[in-house]
Amino acid sequence: MINTITGILSSAVMMCTPLFLGAIGEVFSERAGVMVCAIEGIFLLGAWGGFVGAYASGSLLVGLILAVIMGVLMAALYGFVTICLKQQQIVMGTAVNILAAGLAAFFQRVFFGIPTVPLQVKPLSHIAIPLLSKLPIIGQVLFNQNIITYLAYILFPISFFVLYKTSVGLTIRSCGENPASVDTAGINVNRVRFLTVIIAGALGGLAGSFYTIGYLGMFTTGIIGGRGWIAFAICFLGNWNPKGALYGTLVFGITEAITIYLQSTQNIPSIPNEFIIALPYILTIALTVSKRSFAVPKQLGIPYNKEL
Amino acid sequence: MNLNFFKKDGEFFKKGYAEIFLFNVLAIVIGLVISSLMLCFLKQNPFSVYAEVFKRIFNDKYSVGEIFVKATPLIFTSLAFAFTYKANLFNIGAQGQFYMGSIVAVALSLAIGDKVPTVIVILLVLILSCLAGALIGGLIGFAKAKTGANEFLVSMMSTYVVQNFMDFLLRTVLRETKAEYLQTNPIPANAFLPRIIPGTRVHLGTLIAVLFAIGVWVLLYKTALGYRIRAVGYNKDASEHAGINSKIIFITAFAISGALAGIAGFTEINGVQHMLLQNFNASIGSFGIGIAILANGHPIGIIFASLLFGFLNVAGTTMGRIPGLNIPASIIDLNEGIVMICVIVSYFLRMRYVSKKEKKRLLLSGGEV
Repeated sequence: MINTITGILSSAVMMCTPLFLGAIGEVFSERAGVMVCAIEGIFLLGAWGGFVGAYASGSLLVGLILAVIMGVLMAALYGFVTICLKQQQIVMGTAVNILAAGLAAFFQRVFFGIPTVPLQVKPLSHIAIPLLSKLPIIGQVLFNQNIITYLAYILFPISFFVLYKTSVGLTIRSCGENPASVDTAGINVNRVRFLTVIIAGALGGLAGSFYTIGYLGMFTTGIIGGRGWIAFAICFLGNWNPKGALYGTLVFGITEAITIYLQSTQNIPSIPNEFIIALPYILTIALTVSKRSFAVPKQLGIPYNKEL
Repeated sequence: MNLNFFKKDGEFFKKGYAEIFLFNVLAIVIGLVISSLMLCFLKQNPFSVYAEVFKRIFNDKYSVGEIFVKATPLIFTSLAFAFTYKANLFNIGAQGQFYMGSIVAVALSLAIGDKVPTVIVILLVLILSCLAGALIGGLIGFAKAKTGANEFLVSMMSTYVVQNFMDFLLRTVLRETKAEYLQTNPIPANAFLPRIIPGTRVHLGTLIAVLFAIGVWVLLYKTALGYRIRAVGYNKDASEHAGINSKIIFITAFAISGALAGIAGFTEINGVQHMLLQNFNASIGSFGIGIAILANGHPIGIIFASLLFGFLNVAGTTMGRIPGLNIPASIIDLNEGIVMICVIVSYFLRMRYVSKKEKKRLLLSGGEV
């Protein structure tokens, strides 16, 4: 029993990692006023870039770097059109997501043809942290994970500190609440917004690569399957702050881990498998509908026009 | 009720038709050129591939017909997005509403398909699949109106829920008698939508789609309800002061939007597939959004933009069938993504062009800029 629970919690922490990275990136960009609706595509290209880099070079580090680069490129395209050209964010997001799906599938074929056996890389190994990993249960759950998860641990305090305790954070938050005042202070609003979108892209790319080289060791076009959108939802449900994002991530990560566990055991035949798969999505709807107080950044989704 | 700002908006769009057309066509051409260059990565000459594709499609009545077949459901999902977009709402869940319509269409056709005359089956299926979509859409609109829930997120997630619901039905009650694949039995021929052009798969659904597009245009621009929907989209607070209940508009707009997507399920099941398969037409929801953008949300423009996407789709499959070239079907997504981005960028360029021209005109006429 203890082993089962440890197993579920440990896989929950794994499933939390990419969701948290994506959600934190989204928190930064949305606090500055831009929804990164391309997040699903960024996740997908990150996953693909990570796999290709790792497969071609044999080095997982190259995979991670390529994943971040792919995420940043997609975010730059998205940011350019939505921030500099001031186009509708949801619409551009849809376009980028379609493009990303096409790019990943097309270049997977260009590079690898139709392989007879599934291409695989050895996923990132778990690093047991000395002493801490020896703690009962917690040690296994929290301190025997791969490097991306540890990055996510560090990211939480950093993002909290940057957003609330530094002038950079104040600038970012002001860009989403009152961009005109930021402009008056002589700071280029669109540059701040663009940079936060790039950060979201880098984190999203890294998050995507978790699914390929951090976990499964292979790439399929359906590998993300809406998880980018879940990270997007977590940012909303977590009220656009890192703490809320952390809680949201835990809820979804644990749900996903339970889903994986139930699917692997099949010992509750009365619950249809499909219902279990749909659980995170149903949860999102239930939470979105039941949540009453949203601290939406005032200028979220609205391009900044200097002339006005 | 003073909503004069609205009239102005209409005039602006009327004036801009020529420019919209010009910029869109240019954007599409540039998008196609960029995406055809992608073929170089497969060590193919894009020009000869496209020449071959054009030759194959337009020398073959069946392939030309396929463009219309592929465009039909896209017209509906695109109208679905455009409809809520006019109320400044985002229905990203057309895919789910389409699946819901498909489920109802296939279940009903299987149940009564060979028991009653074709006309009655078709009409019943049309109405009920429409209602099924409207139910899902209406629920999203209701959530938005009642709790202020973000309709973008709820509609996005509803697709995944409906998709899993469909998988569940396909695995259990609706599963084919052979129980081999995750699909239903074929519906009885009596419930088929009649083909309208011999030698092709073009079916009555295509005409229905065009009629609905015209109907949506009339509804949006020639009726009081349409006026209210656009007014809420333009300025929610102002229209509330003018006595429009925006909550009712949210629910109505979403229900109509869902209904439109639901009908796509009917035309696909009764007109093309004749059965329900797992994951079928998995991306018509998102393509619908692209088409609505391409057409600037205009219902009549949507018909033509859908035909373009239908063509891209058929061109992609045709490319894949040219022997020896090995072009993957993913080229379709790639093409459509690139064309969409080009069109979005062209929106910016057109707006800049229009405002520059306007400034010039005002300068010349001696007015203030």
